[in-house]
Amino acid sequence: MISERPGMFKPALICGLAVGVLTAIPLVNCLCCLWIIGGAMVAAYLFARTSPAPLTPGDGAVLGILTGIVAAVGDAIVSLPFENMNREYVQKFMDQFSQFFEDMPSGWERWFEARAGGLSPAWFLLGLLASAVVYAAFGALGGLIGASLFGKKNLPSEPPQGPPV
Amino acid sequence: MPERAEVAGHRKTFLITYVIATAACLLWLGGIWLAPYLKSRSSPWSSLVYAVYSPVCHQVASRSWFCFGYPLAVCARCTGIYLGFLLGLVCYPLQRGWRRISFPSSRNFILVSAPIVLDTVGNFLKLWHTPNAFRLATGVIWGALLPFYLIPGVTDLLIGQQKKRLNSPSTCP
Repeated sequence: MISERPGMFKPALICGLAVGVLTAIPLVNCLCCLWIIGGAMVAAYLFARTSPAPLTPGDGAVLGILTGIVAAVGDAIVSLPFENMNREYVQKFMDQFSQFFEDMPSGWERWFEARAGGLSPAWFLLGLLASAVVYAAFGALGGLIGASLFGKKNLPSEPPQGPPV
Repeated sequence: MPERAEVAGHRKTFLITYVIATAACLLWLGGIWLAPYLKSRSSPWSSLVYAVYSPVCHQVASRSWFCFGYPLAVCARCTGIYLGFLLGLVCYPLQRGWRRISFPSSRNFILVSAPIVLDTVGNFLKLWHTPNAFRLATGVIWGALLPFYLIPGVTDLLIGQQKKRLNSPSTCP
């Protein structure tokens, strides 16, 4: 079982939510997986800044995994309104497209009807689980990079020794 | 003697991490080409495969390579990153071996990241428009660096967990 160090959850929550929102918004999501990796790097920076002990690679990975999981939840929630917006936009586009072309793929209208019912809770949870796994993997990578960049701490110098008695 | 056993243990952990990472990378890469293949066969599963990659890529067709007449499951830059990752995995044992847990220097990270960051920012701000081949190339360069973080990092995490388990009170007499 992987254990987290105290104080890890706060940077993971802040960066994970920010990444979740950014990956869900159309157009801004053009940075693909770089948002998650970058977010986990920032989480590692925030943790290293406040933690007195050096951030080890293992800690970086755990922090990245946490950030990824939070990002997946944030993305799933923020994506919901955009899901409907995207569907309406594509439906309108396809309607206009079909006026000009007669050779539309068979069954495309049925496909839209099937999707018009909305996302079922089971599909939502399945999608959330799948994206959590993927985001956690990318987050771990970002956390490791962050640990290597910001994890080193200058060790306190040895206390001066008095003259031998 | 215990040191030798510890080194052997580290080597084993390294190897396990490496094999799992390689298998996962090949599976992930396979899915990128599987999606257009299934779509070309009019399989309903193609939508599911495309959906798996949708959280980590915008999947814009104009920015993707085409195969079997349909776009790959991820854009050209992401394809480059994953191909680069595989290249990095191939190079890893030749470059680092199985014993040392160390990361690339910060200077190397900045140097390797500079092309992908500059190109992405330039495209995002519409300062220039690079062709897909260039996007793929910047992705490959950056992706090749990532296994040099992942393999030692995950190995360190696993070794740390093993040590914790051995030192926990329940395992001590």
